[in-house]
Amino acid sequence: MSTEEHPIQIPNSTARPLELTDDFSPGETNFIKVDNFKFFYGKKEALHGINLEIPSRRVISFIGPSGCGKSTLLRNFNRMNELIPGVRHEGDITIHGTSIFDPSVEVIALRRRIGMVFQKSNPFPMSIYENIVYPLRIAGQGDRSVHDETVERCLCSAALWDEVKDRLHDSALGLSGGQMQRLCIARAIASSPEILLMDEPCSALDPIATAKVEELIIELKKDFTIVIVTHNMQQASRVSELTAFFYLGNLVEFDETRKIFTNPSKLQTEEYITGRFG
Amino acid sequence: MHTEPSRPHTLSDFTTALDKLRGSVLTMASLTKKNLQNAIQGLFERDDDFCNHSIADDEEIDLLEIQIDREGIEVMSRFQPVAKDLREVISSIKIGANIERVADQAVNIARRARKLNEHPELPELHLLDPVIKLSLEMFEDAIRSFAERNASLAVELKARDKSLDRLNKEVTDELINRMQDDSTNLPAYLNMIFISRCLERIGDHSANIAEDVVFAVRAEDIRHLGK
Amino acid sequence: MKPKPLHFFSSPKGETSFFRLLRNRFLTGLCIALSLLTLVPLISIVILVIRNGLPLLSMNLFSQLPPAPGLEGGGFGNAIMGTLVMVGISLLLAVPLGVFSAVYINEYAPVSPVSSAVRFVAKLLTGIPSIICGVFAFAAVVMTSHHFSAIAGGVALAILILPIILLTTEQALMGVSSAYREASFGVGATAFQTIWRIVLPDAMPAIMTGVMLAVSRAAGETAPVLFTALFSQNWITSVLEPTASLSVLIYNFASLPYAYHIKLAWSASLVLVTVVTMTNILAQLIFSPKHR
Repeated sequence: MSTEEHPIQIPNSTARPLELTDDFSPGETNFIKVDNFKFFYGKKEALHGINLEIPSRRVISFIGPSGCGKSTLLRNFNRMNELIPGVRHEGDITIHGTSIFDPSVEVIALRRRIGMVFQKSNPFPMSIYENIVYPLRIAGQGDRSVHDETVERCLCSAALWDEVKDRLHDSALGLSGGQMQRLCIARAIASSPEILLMDEPCSALDPIATAKVEELIIELKKDFTIVIVTHNMQQASRVSELTAFFYLGNLVEFDETRKIFTNPSKLQTEEYITGRFG
Repeated sequence: MHTEPSRPHTLSDFTTALDKLRGSVLTMASLTKKNLQNAIQGLFERDDDFCNHSIADDEEIDLLEIQIDREGIEVMSRFQPVAKDLREVISSIKIGANIERVADQAVNIARRARKLNEHPELPELHLLDPVIKLSLEMFEDAIRSFAERNASLAVELKARDKSLDRLNKEVTDELINRMQDDSTNLPAYLNMIFISRCLERIGDHSANIAEDVVFAVRAEDIRHLGK
Repeated sequence: MKPKPLHFFSSPKGETSFFRLLRNRFLTGLCIALSLLTLVPLISIVILVIRNGLPLLSMNLFSQLPPAPGLEGGGFGNAIMGTLVMVGISLLLAVPLGVFSAVYINEYAPVSPVSSAVRFVAKLLTGIPSIICGVFAFAAVVMTSHHFSAIAGGVALAILILPIILLTTEQALMGVSSAYREASFGVGATAFQTIWRIVLPDAMPAIMTGVMLAVSRAAGETAPVLFTALFSQNWITSVLEPTASLSVLIYNFASLPYAYHIKLAWSASLVLVTVVTMTNILAQLIFSPKHR
């Protein structure tokens, strides 16, 4: 897939809030569209005009050496970077045809549509149940039956239900590292997002816990568009169908994972994945 | 596909292990070449010693094949190679297997040569000359394409394999004609047909090696095209 | 010294190791001795207060008014009550102010000039002598209202404890893992929801420890209440009138020439020390972190 081309820009004049469920068509090819996107931390340009089209219901890996901009781009999808003072951007990111920077898009609503899982599992110091209910509570959903239903659904989706169903009201901090990360995934899908962003979700986990999370990622692909930042090449090749290689704030190559890991078309990609730099 | 000379790995052990694997393949290839030459020398100089050498040294080549497999597996399990490194390891293992078959053909030739040596020399032996020349060239070029990562040389080998097949057929037909005229030397002609057949097989294995080289260098699979 | 037989662990120069060990033992001993020495004044105070305060200690002390000079009997119930009221007033004033300021400077604008100013002033205030707080409250409240009052005392104490509460709260908020904030924002929470539902609950134990520290500080201070609340021989009936406090009672009675009043002052000291110590211990026990 060429990243140099700019397919027809969907006009933003009909800006509407990011509510995708009704007319969402699975398998959309340019579900997330990054259009000549630049990002600055103060004066430092961290992303130099990224063009990228991410199809829906797929797993996409972002790989590249530290500081290459992959996490920065990921954190722009749900505008988490805006929490850092002194940042700005140029260009645009559209999701399902709507610019995420459109004034009519509420950042809170945006983040409810885009779940995020962090490098270090970060369950709140509350019960397992309350962790998953939190996204509902802050959205004003106070119905107990909805809570119960969501907790069971999300824990099942996160392959955690059987392990914790008897201790839902115990502290989440008593779980193992892998369970905590799966709880965070369950929490991230509690607000029924369309997209899941994962920022090195397995870097602190042992191989078995990693395998469980990877299994889960492959499972979740049916319902979510998943973008995963990883330093683990094997993980990228195991879980993702598409891989984007970033280097020094540029998107070097974006292609099928199979192609990237057997026969990449750019020398930089080849040298990075074969362990010759980075 | 990149033809630029590649930088070494950040992990120098990885580069060392790949180099070692490559070295084993080249060692095996040169031993095989020597065995092949011994067998052919034994054939033309009617000297059983050369033939016996060729047969005895095959054991060493078998051991090298095992060693290449072991080294390849070790590289894969220790370093999880991807892209060209992965292709190189896979190709090396497959090339190792093909070289081993070439060496087996050398043994077959040596055995047939010993049988021919039991009888008086026949002028028809020189019918084999072009087959020997071409098959040896092909094997050498296959190994050279591997050593130099020369994909275009490897591609060209496939065409030569076709002419080798044709040569083999011509020689075989000619020898069958002779068998009808001269039934007293029938076993000798039969052995020559077998030797020609062995040489043709060496050409096939060389072509296989070339295909693996193209895969390693260009990530293209050129097997079973146009069939 | 007899040369020891060499073995695997002998150092190449046998003597160095001997002197190193000697110096190590000496310094260890010195540290133990000095730390025991610091206990001496502390323990002496406790023993002194208990020995002098215990004889008069009875329930009457808590329920009766102080005797007139020269007389015997009675207690200091009104002073205990006054101290509680004034500490309560100071908390009512200082806790919201301190906590919300800390939330602002730590959560909303950690690097703004306003925050730096607030932080600087708070640190400055911690160093200000307590008598200055009293003088300020005297000028600001007593002079304008023309009354010594519990309110004025509460204001003086509030000024005293405000920086303590602000700074401990800020520390408490800083101690909340930023991963929690990230997680909360990540699921679409507003800044207010994040602070209210995640950050403050997690920081609560540490904030309460700070508040308890402030309570014990406020209860024990004499200077700020000395000329803002003054003193009273009677039960408190209104926060607008002069009010007795334990610390001022000790100050007043200890300087009287009557043996009974001096004994009362000792007992008041015992009560004060006990209350302050109990508050501290309670703060440690109740609000110790549960989740980690």
